[in-house]
Amino acid sequence: MKFVVIGGDAAGMSAASRAKRNDSGLAVTVLERSTTVSYSA
Amino acid sequence: MVRTADVFRKKSGIDVRTEHQAEHIDLSEGLVSGHTREGKRFELPFDRLLIATGADPIVPARPGFDLPGVMVVKTLDDAQAIKERITSHPVKRALILGMGYIAMEMAEALRERGIEVAMAKPRARLLPWLPEELAQRVGEELAAHQVALHTVFSVDHIEERGNHLAAVSASGDRLEADLVVVAIGVTPNSRLARDAGLALGPADAIAVDRQMRTSDDRIYAAGDCADAFHVVTGERVWIPLALRANRAGWAVADHLCGREVSLQGVVGSAVFKVFDLEVARTGLTAAEASEAGFDAATVTIKASSKAHSMPGASPILVHMVGDRRSGRLLGAQMVGREGAAHRINTAAVALHAAMTVAQFSESDLAYAPPFGPTWDPLLVGANQLIKAMK
Ligand SMILES: Cc1cc2nc3c(=O)[nH]c(=O)nc-3n(C[C@H](O)[C@H](O)[C@H](O)COP(=O)(O)OP(=O)(O)OC[C@H]3O[C@@H](n4cnc5c(N)ncnc54)[C@H](O)[C@@H]3O)c2cc1C
Repeated sequence: MKFVVIGGDAAGMSAASRAKRNDSGLAVTVLERSTTVSYSA
Repeated sequence: MVRTADVFRKKSGIDVRTEHQAEHIDLSEGLVSGHTREGKRFELPFDRLLIATGADPIVPARPGFDLPGVMVVKTLDDAQAIKERITSHPVKRALILGMGYIAMEMAEALRERGIEVAMAKPRARLLPWLPEELAQRVGEELAAHQVALHTVFSVDHIEERGNHLAAVSASGDRLEADLVVVAIGVTPNSRLARDAGLALGPADAIAVDRQMRTSDDRIYAAGDCADAFHVVTGERVWIPLALRANRAGWAVADHLCGREVSLQGVVGSAVFKVFDLEVARTGLTAAEASEAGFDAATVTIKASSKAHSMPGASPILVHMVGDRRSGRLLGAQMVGREGAAHRINTAAVALHAAMTVAQFSESDLAYAPPFGPTWDPLLVGANQLIKAMK
């Protein structure tokens, strides 16, 4: 399954990271308009 | 903590594409498209999509708000840009537009660098969601740190004269500064969703259910761009804060992977520090409670942050709101030098548990002299509120 996330900050990276932890077979792509993604959880 | 895109790619196996701006969601084809910073067009198919585009700072479309030296504070880059501005230009005076928590945190940061700070807002009340007495305490704290407050000052435009800036009101009043920080609020970044025809909620945030699904069940939304259910009122609200954003992100991941998810919602807990003062809230204010149809009763009490015998005790102002009809606790706000920020969480949990004020007043809360009086300030407030609700 292809999971695409728009926005790589608190909500987006929480979802992307946990989705990947839940199911390593998932194809997770994050689109982030800025130069950095961050994650504070 | 900021992790680089590389770490995510290598350690987590997440395909992170920075400098990729999404511009269009094609629901029928299941495609998201946009442009890279270099101007290259991209298109990406999805089975499930999460919109987590956050909120953008509001910048009035008035003349002069695009001048160099007029800056917003939202991202790390913004903060860096302000720092650079301060080091590359002589900034003696700063003007902050807005008096919310981000504006106040900016005021403190600038004062710490020895910069003169003035703040301006169009309306009369400082922190209108706080009861008058508590808001006044915040005003005193700002004044004690030489922050000038200009309420009822509506900026018509900003002018540049030489190296100096001036915010000018419609009536021609001027506030001069070398740096203007715009912190008047944020707005949900929901344009992609709106253009795709997804339902919007309060403040035009993307409407989501308890599984973070939008009106199209292949599309999730989470964080500052989306709304939430308020646990006390049951209504949709837009309260853009970090814990909800993180939690909503987790909920999406779990739901996506077939796990059972149903988020209860938010109670509007928030804290911030302004110089040596902690300001905290959870649940409804009296005005919000009345608006939601409750028969609101309120009390404001003054308690001590430590047992009276302890040196360094300082007052905590506690405001509490209850519903006369159901007896329920509806909200609490607190201001104090210490012991306000984390204490609010006690009331927050009581709101999640839908406790009555009487039940809350029976809570067995911890006591030792360095941490508070025998009767916790919230218990003192609850005891008084029971009487006010009769
Ligand atoms: C100065 C400041 C202080 C704060 N302090 C607190 C605090 O003390 N406590 C608290 O709870 N909250 C605080 N907040 C709020 C908190 O930062 C937010 O609630 C949280 O960051 C929301 O996370 P998010 O992922 O939903 O959105 P954001 O953090 O806004 O992230 C959204 C991301 O999406 C990207 N994006 C947007 N549109 C697109 C697009 N079209 N294509 C690709 N990428 C896109 C953005 O570049 C951004 O990286 C503060 C905010 C600020 C600005």
